[in-house]
Amino acid sequence: MFERPPPRFSSSVVRVFPGRYKVLWPCNARGWHRRIDRMTLLSEVKKDYGKLKNFVNGEWIDSTSDKVIDIENPSTGEVIGKLPMSTVEETKAAIDAAHEAWWAWRETPPITRGRLFFRLKELMEQNFEDVARIMVQEQGKTIDEARGETRRTIENVEVAAGIPSLMMGYSLEDGGAEGIDEDAIISPLGVFAAICPFNFPAMIPYWFWPYAVASGNTYIVKPSSQVPLTQNYLTKLVEQAGFPPGVLNIVNGSHEVSDTLMEHPKVKGISFVGSSPVAKYIYKKSAENGKRVQAQGGAKNSLVVMPDAVLERTVSNMLASYYGCAGQRCLAGSNLVAIGDIAEPLLKKWVERSKLIKMGYGLDESVNMGPVVSAKAKKKVIEYIDSAETEGAKILLDGRKAKVPGYEKGHFVGPTVIDQVTPDMKVAKEEIFGPVVTYLRMDSMDEAIDFIHSSPFGNAASIYTQSGKWARDFRYKVQCGNIGINVGVVAAMAYFPFAGYKDSFFGDLHGQGQDAIKFFTDRKVVITRWF
Amino acid sequence: MVECEFPECTTFGAVIRFALELEKGAAGVYEELSKEPRAAAAAETFKAMAAAHKKRGDLLEFTRQQKLNEMILEPIQDIKRENYLIDTRTPKGSDVKAAARFAGKIEETSAKFYLDSAKIAKMLMAEAARVMDKLGKENQANKAKLDAL
Repeated sequence: MFERPPPRFSSSVVRVFPGRYKVLWPCNARGWHRRIDRMTLLSEVKKDYGKLKNFVNGEWIDSTSDKVIDIENPSTGEVIGKLPMSTVEETKAAIDAAHEAWWAWRETPPITRGRLFFRLKELMEQNFEDVARIMVQEQGKTIDEARGETRRTIENVEVAAGIPSLMMGYSLEDGGAEGIDEDAIISPLGVFAAICPFNFPAMIPYWFWPYAVASGNTYIVKPSSQVPLTQNYLTKLVEQAGFPPGVLNIVNGSHEVSDTLMEHPKVKGISFVGSSPVAKYIYKKSAENGKRVQAQGGAKNSLVVMPDAVLERTVSNMLASYYGCAGQRCLAGSNLVAIGDIAEPLLKKWVERSKLIKMGYGLDESVNMGPVVSAKAKKKVIEYIDSAETEGAKILLDGRKAKVPGYEKGHFVGPTVIDQVTPDMKVAKEEIFGPVVTYLRMDSMDEAIDFIHSSPFGNAASIYTQSGKWARDFRYKVQCGNIGINVGVVAAMAYFPFAGYKDSFFGDLHGQGQDAIKFFTDRKVVITRWF
Repeated sequence: MVECEFPECTTFGAVIRFALELEKGAAGVYEELSKEPRAAAAAETFKAMAAAHKKRGDLLEFTRQQKLNEMILEPIQDIKRENYLIDTRTPKGSDVKAAARFAGKIEETSAKFYLDSAKIAKMLMAEAARVMDKLGKENQANKAKLDAL
């Protein structure tokens, strides 16, 4: 039988930090009630990442540019690094290095190239948590979102590691005539480059470069100037994995770098992800310069809820779509279209559940939503909400003045629900890229499909229903690149292609999977006859 | 006493964190119980239990890294952390029965946490749900083992 001394204080639970608690138990005879004042967040990998370098020809090189911008943590407002705006000459040097490295790399057998990706995957697994935390620091997403993105990044490496199977050609005996065989060989082309956005600092460059490099090309990545840290960190793992110098190069900077990549004759193709106007520009300029292009643009995704939808599950799933990554996914829900008499109960539940979304610094594991990426982004989102009000919509939940205690300098916009939105309003038509739900009511699925088709975008659309017929009709009719049936974030896995339709994508071959292999290779036909 | 930090269970990561804290707490309590002179007869059992709970922590970290799917990261709004808090103030001077009773409560609470979480996770991530279900059933088996001491 044991005896416990009588407590002077009962055990209790104390909130010590937004979202985190400590259980306070009596702990010893003298300091009987030990108080723990502050619950720690997950640790930051570094407080200050210093001035970034370029990675060219296997070496980390300081840029000579005197133009340097701050890299900001959008949750805290603190400067966590500096980014040089690399020069045209520095970009050309990277292109030359990639070009020099190409032929030796092209001659490296696919199985050997694939093995380097296995090694890279292992290093990424070992450094998984650091990759995710750096992403939280520079982009503002939550740690779960960052871990999810890291997983998707690794999945692209895993798929690319299977390159011997992925880039096999095909043959036909007597394909030319009797005694004349015909073969199609899949060959790499040379130097490719990616110009990357801010919303997925790790994953998006990995939609492209692993496939390009695995199939025997060399590569240049220009990370987003807002979120370059994750990509720079990952490239250290690429270096550690033993990829030969010049095979993957990183050039930090802005439009001078992009323009040089698009204009340079040694660059065979450009991959881009960003807004539609820029995607269109990239597509046009790169094509004018004779390059292959895949340019992914913006989106205005509608999620359509049919009267027979399972309300509870539908709401839970849609919360991830509208508020995940603070609405800064090209696959995020934006318009919420309620069909028929589900509109009222859905809206009631939606607002209730939206109010429970917890904002904060993503290194607090209990946080559901982080800030938007910058003060400029926040201003833009707020302007959209203002415009809805001006046009006569009703703001049911207003995130414009959202504050997170302890993070007053963070760029937080709270979950926002705008009711009585009509299809002609600005907020129903334009990409907001924030945690803003524009609520529309319609009478039928056909009306919703017409509305979806009235948008210049065609990235994604989802339907929530228990009816196979409705789901099938929606899938069949809707002209978008990604369709969700009871799924609100229609993000293709690494072994499937990803891109949108209409102004959401300029090009033909998509990112990831077999499409990526086709984009980065050409077919060479060989006809053989032996005398 | 083993110090634990239990977050609100509002995200997948927070649920896993909560579970890791449960495992840390359980492992620590078993280690302390294994050193209790009056419970020496069960010391080896407690040591084995401590090791098993540490290993479960590794499984949880693996689950967090490998089973998380960015596509379906829904907010979790229906797990109340207060229902699953454990007492990690290991009692001093316990005999085998008292020590087993104390550890049994931890196993019972943990089982409830894992089995409840498995139901919720099933909607989100079936693979994670299977892990939660397995851990919850192990807790139940541990409790039965402790009851038999």
